[in-house]
Amino acid sequence: MLSSTAGSASRRFFFAALFWLLVPGVMGLTLALVLYVPSLQDAFPIGIKPYLSFGRLRSAHVNLAIFGWLSQAYVGGILYILPRLTHTRLFSERLAHANWWLWNMMVAGALLTLPLGVTQGREYAEMIWPLDLLLVLNMLLLAVNIWGTVARRNEPKIYVSLWTFMAGTMVMLPVYMVGNKIWDPDGAFTGMTDNIVNYFYVHNLFNAWFTTVGLGLALYLLPKLADRPLYSHKLGLWGLWSVWTGQHHQLNSPAPDWLEYLTVVFSILAAVPTTAFMVNFFMTMRGSWQRVERDVALRFLVTGALFWAFTCVQGVAQSFRSFSMRVHFTNWVIGHSHLALVVDYSFWAFALIYLMVPQLVGRSLYSRALMEWHYWLTTIGMVVFMVFLWVAGLIQAQHWMSNSIPFLDTVRVMNPFFGVRLFGGLLAGAGILCFVYNLWRTAAIEPARRSPVLAAGPGAGQ
Amino acid sequence: MRANLPYLVGGSLISLLLGIIVTIIIPAQDPIGPTALARPYTEQELVGRAIYLKEGCMYCHTQQVRAPEANASMIHEPGDIGPESVPGDYYYQSPVFWGTNRQGPDLAHMASRAGIGDNPAWQRLHLQNPRAVSSGSVMPSYDYLTPAQLDALVAYLLTLK
Repeated sequence: MLSSTAGSASRRFFFAALFWLLVPGVMGLTLALVLYVPSLQDAFPIGIKPYLSFGRLRSAHVNLAIFGWLSQAYVGGILYILPRLTHTRLFSERLAHANWWLWNMMVAGALLTLPLGVTQGREYAEMIWPLDLLLVLNMLLLAVNIWGTVARRNEPKIYVSLWTFMAGTMVMLPVYMVGNKIWDPDGAFTGMTDNIVNYFYVHNLFNAWFTTVGLGLALYLLPKLADRPLYSHKLGLWGLWSVWTGQHHQLNSPAPDWLEYLTVVFSILAAVPTTAFMVNFFMTMRGSWQRVERDVALRFLVTGALFWAFTCVQGVAQSFRSFSMRVHFTNWVIGHSHLALVVDYSFWAFALIYLMVPQLVGRSLYSRALMEWHYWLTTIGMVVFMVFLWVAGLIQAQHWMSNSIPFLDTVRVMNPFFGVRLFGGLLAGAGILCFVYNLWRTAAIEPARRSPVLAAGPGAGQ
Repeated sequence: MRANLPYLVGGSLISLLLGIIVTIIIPAQDPIGPTALARPYTEQELVGRAIYLKEGCMYCHTQQVRAPEANASMIHEPGDIGPESVPGDYYYQSPVFWGTNRQGPDLAHMASRAGIGDNPAWQRLHLQNPRAVSSGSVMPSYDYLTPAQLDALVAYLLTLK
């Protein structure tokens, strides 16, 4: 249960992530389907109808995707990278295994509670209090392993990825505890402040965890896959320590105007780390672009990085009150969230898994063709999905602002867009199936040979 | 780099703390009293509000009217989205249901829409079979709620004046 074999915890996190990728994926497709054919919901058997109800399934979809799939892929990557960049063993492999059990208890808890409607009802903070505590404990155990491994490193230099792992876990702890009001979830704040705290948490969940750690993972992968040293470590650190913007998810809202203007300023400042990362990215890629054609993992990384830049442009645009007034509340927002979570961060997680899992199980990947199918189906599917939601959102905005179209008519107009979105989602889902099947065959075809996991080799870019 | 570590850790924690003070603690100091629209809920309305939360209604319905659309945007009639939402409207609420997405209309002032929003019979029918009264609606049907639960939910919805 708590093996001390090097690399075993990382492998477990990756395979748990693959499992938890399928669950919210199926949920997402169900949500897309009922938006396209709403009367299907009336036909669900009464015994399961409540659990498939849109409002319940949506929060299960979101929470399992971010905490079950993406976060576990991140942790798998962190545990894989730590010994390699520090030239030592992980601080405690057993602790990492305990972390894995607790993490999956938490995710299973979310799967059991959210479809039952047992929820705190705040976006991205739906998990109930016991699960909140488990998340804090998990983040703490992970932080101990990260800081502990770095503390006993045999490599004097701390590569930028390690900084992001240390910073991400350190900042996530207070952000999660404050954002979820862990001392009194429902009583600590009421009214407007309750919402302000919620979106403080939502934004910094992305800032501190998905973006900061995600960039760290990408900056490990980039020199590895491009086979070139990182262009600038200083630029990398720049990116790290200035990823700090404000909360801008509720503009034109009842919140104080000065707070909204403040968040707009901070959001514009976010262009600095974004630019730093992209400069670093392109300068490192110089002379390696031909590899993108051959290497699907690098292609996922590069595609993710380009879409990430686009996410940031979109994010800054959305944080202007005038633009927010148009697109906020429309389907544009759903497109934007999938851009960040699927096409950027999940694409980086795909690259992680393609690079690391074959090493961890000690053999090469089962099928190169399935990798290509995964890339093209998921990329094309998601682009279709997002573009149609963005266009749908702009049309909704136009209709709502005309002040002369009954709301129900603006819903009816969405139907063909929901159809195309479902189609895009199905394509992307087919790609995901290729991905998971490929990894499963890679691991399960024959008993795993002992892999030279700790053979540290040349560290990325060092 | 080792020497910088305490500064980097301290600096980032201080910036986080400043962020919390400026964006949470200071706004929370604003003295906000309840407006005429805010109301302390009855026991039944609270049960209804809990059902609204449990079923996740807030993922598709906002409860906030922004200044530029106030009294202008159209639900059934031009301008019937209602007046701009202000902090005091939410005085008695935790959590608030501001929402981020409108697959359905804003509900901040739903119960002020004459004939539909303020009509309990219409509300009940719509919850049980949305497409019977709103053709083209994408809302789930809540025919699995018990009559008492429906009563409570409708009672809560009628507070959204």
